[in-house]
Amino acid sequence: MDLILEGLSLSLTLESLLAISIGVAAGQILGAIPGLTASMAVALLIPYSFYFSPWIGIPMLLGMFKGSFFGASTTAILIRTPGTPAAAATVLDGYPLAQKGKGAKAMKMALYSSVFGDTFSDICLIFFASLLALVALSFGPAEYTVLIVLALGSLGMLSSRPAWKGVVAMLMGVTIGMIGLDPITATERLTFGNPELEEGIGLIPMLIGFLAVSEVFRQMDDSTDELSGRAINFSSKREDNRVSWPEFRGCIPVLFRSSMLGTIIGAMPGLGATVAAFIAYGEARRTSKKPEEFGKGSLEGIAAPEAANNAVSGSNLIPLLAFGIPGDIAAALILGAFMIQGINVGPLAFSQNPVPLYAIYGALILANLVNLALGFGLVRVSRFVFKVPRRMLLASVLIIASAGSYALRGSIFDIQLVFIFGVLGFIMMRYGFPTVPLLIGFILMPLLEENLRTVLLLASTYDEGILFVFKRPAFLAMTALLISIASYIGWRRRRHRRAELPTTDS
Amino acid sequence: MIRTLKTAALVLTVAILLPGLANAAGYPNKTITFICPYSAGGGGDTSSRMIAKLAGDIMGVKINVENKTGGGATIGIGAVSKAKPDGYTVGFVSTSPITIRPHMMKAPYHPLNDLTYISQFVASNQPLVVKADSPFKSLQDVISYAKANPGKLKWSTSVQRGGPHVAVEAMFKADGAKATFVPFKGGSKVLAALLGGTIDVAMISEGNKATLDGQTRILAEGTPMKNPVTPGAPILTDAGYPIAPAIFFGIAGPAGLPKEVLDKWDEVMAKVVKSEEFKALAAARKWTLDFAGHAEFTKTVKRDYMAAKTTIADIGMK
Repeated sequence: MDLILEGLSLSLTLESLLAISIGVAAGQILGAIPGLTASMAVALLIPYSFYFSPWIGIPMLLGMFKGSFFGASTTAILIRTPGTPAAAATVLDGYPLAQKGKGAKAMKMALYSSVFGDTFSDICLIFFASLLALVALSFGPAEYTVLIVLALGSLGMLSSRPAWKGVVAMLMGVTIGMIGLDPITATERLTFGNPELEEGIGLIPMLIGFLAVSEVFRQMDDSTDELSGRAINFSSKREDNRVSWPEFRGCIPVLFRSSMLGTIIGAMPGLGATVAAFIAYGEARRTSKKPEEFGKGSLEGIAAPEAANNAVSGSNLIPLLAFGIPGDIAAALILGAFMIQGINVGPLAFSQNPVPLYAIYGALILANLVNLALGFGLVRVSRFVFKVPRRMLLASVLIIASAGSYALRGSIFDIQLVFIFGVLGFIMMRYGFPTVPLLIGFILMPLLEENLRTVLLLASTYDEGILFVFKRPAFLAMTALLISIASYIGWRRRRHRRAELPTTDS
Repeated sequence: MIRTLKTAALVLTVAILLPGLANAAGYPNKTITFICPYSAGGGGDTSSRMIAKLAGDIMGVKINVENKTGGGATIGIGAVSKAKPDGYTVGFVSTSPITIRPHMMKAPYHPLNDLTYISQFVASNQPLVVKADSPFKSLQDVISYAKANPGKLKWSTSVQRGGPHVAVEAMFKADGAKATFVPFKGGSKVLAALLGGTIDVAMISEGNKATLDGQTRILAEGTPMKNPVTPGAPILTDAGYPIAPAIFFGIAGPAGLPKEVLDKWDEVMAKVVKSEEFKALAAARKWTLDFAGHAEFTKTVKRDYMAAKTTIADIGMK
């Protein structure tokens, strides 16, 4: 107990509160700018972190990562531009809602969900880190494969009518995702000998082009009068600008499920926030009472990806604290910052010197509160900013999109990609092809391929071949889950159809 | 009016002449571009930024880090090789795109002809590790198992076709053993796979800390640098295997850099690696600071490039 208090007293000081506030504010702003990610900002700051006391530097970094997820959602909602890839799934329902004048409601829902997801995963981190870490470590390529199949199953139901358009979009996503090095043999695929393509199509230029630039192209079609109007109209009705308690209460089940998914996915090295957001979105739609609202501005459709992607940011620290394995680049940077300050993280930290860990916990929870408070400010500011005429906003989106994608790799090629995907997205929108299958094909299918082929490679080393997977308890558990969900869906459909029969008779 | 024009002309002349005057003041007298061929956040990027800051402070100029990634770091290094050899464009280099991969792909530069090696500032260990409770107690145990059970042993390294991959592949080939390489993206995923039991053996720099944490055991060392955690671990070449390439971080510029530039960097980098800031970063990332000036670094690169050339041709890696 003394150790806990000692830890908390390190992180709950006025200086660290100030540091967290600066971190969160910077994170929210950077997150809102496409191409500028929190990881990049932290990387830029690392050379200077040596000069800070650890309990100023580290809370600032943690605040920055948390802030950036919400910042990224605001532009996803208002201008269809996900500030970071993790906010791509938020576009699906956030943007339609903003188009109805309910941008403030959407942003506030995103804020509540972000903070909810963050807090949920921080609590899991504090109380179940070692347990969750063990679960995560028992997940290998075989279990990842089942998990992704599970995700594809629930996301597959998002396919719109006619079905062939969804299939075409999905295949396009898969093809684009295949560009680059083969995940097993590391030979080039579909690169046409161009070294720029060797590492594949970047997620950021692809998302910015496909979602944001295509929307700009679509709006350029509108009449001059319309373009001189306000960029985004915010309804003046009070209930359109806030999330009411009944609305929030309706989302609570989704928030819990998505936060749990995000926490589990974040604890595994290798899947990440973007994947978690899409999986949670699919699950929310599958279990929703009003699945028909998804894609048209469902609050649940905002709550799910936002809670899930933030939950990842907390649980990313689980493998880091338990095994010293950073789950993603953000966690790797935080690890670097810890160690520069001489703080050991890893399996021995709990027994040797737990005080810094308690201090980190304190900082995490404090950062969530600050994120909530500053988030309201960002909602207010963005309502003000987006009063500019629409034609000016569209032009700036193009500039930011180009600059953001260039900043990431210093590559002109990425700017070209942004516009290629902008045109592609525009054409697909024109002819009624759905967006989601293409994104899933691009984001999830390469992961499925990588893991499935690793399983096949591993199978060749066992006497029993592919059957080796049945010796893995985690695989059996995942498969049982997959089968039970699939049969539940089948059962519900049959019941649904039977219930519909009388109406078709009359 | 005339007066205004005159003043304007004067200002213009001074503005044109000033950079010229400054040029005479010796290297460096203007902003240096430092190309990092890896993306923000990784080890290459972090060290590039640290060096840019510290070396810039010492030289009294600004050093701008530009991330130019892609093509397995060959695009960024290609850009360095094509820059004007005046010392104002240099870049970060590491083992794989310099001594290893050019033997397997068409790189946009020739490592020995198109680049000048300025200095090496980090060398990292690449321990060959097994899980702490593994039945393999020595390198010999691993080899015997792989020989007795062809293809059954599963292993990995942090980069496919990097130095450690070549070194371990050559080791198995030399003993006529057969094992299965399972690719993962990055050292931490390899470590997770090792601890989770998906693979049996790994050669990753993360192995040093994991061994200190009691999670793994070191059986051998894949670089010419003695392993500090397990000093008794044999270096692959000492154990009679074909290659143990140095895993380095260094700075390079285009071919034909003037001696003045090289001398300056030798002097500055010797100070940078001794600074508290850089030592802290290296300790945090578990890098071994191993400074080598222009002459010695060039020798290392030549030696490993030629050794890798023979080995890669022998084992037929593509």
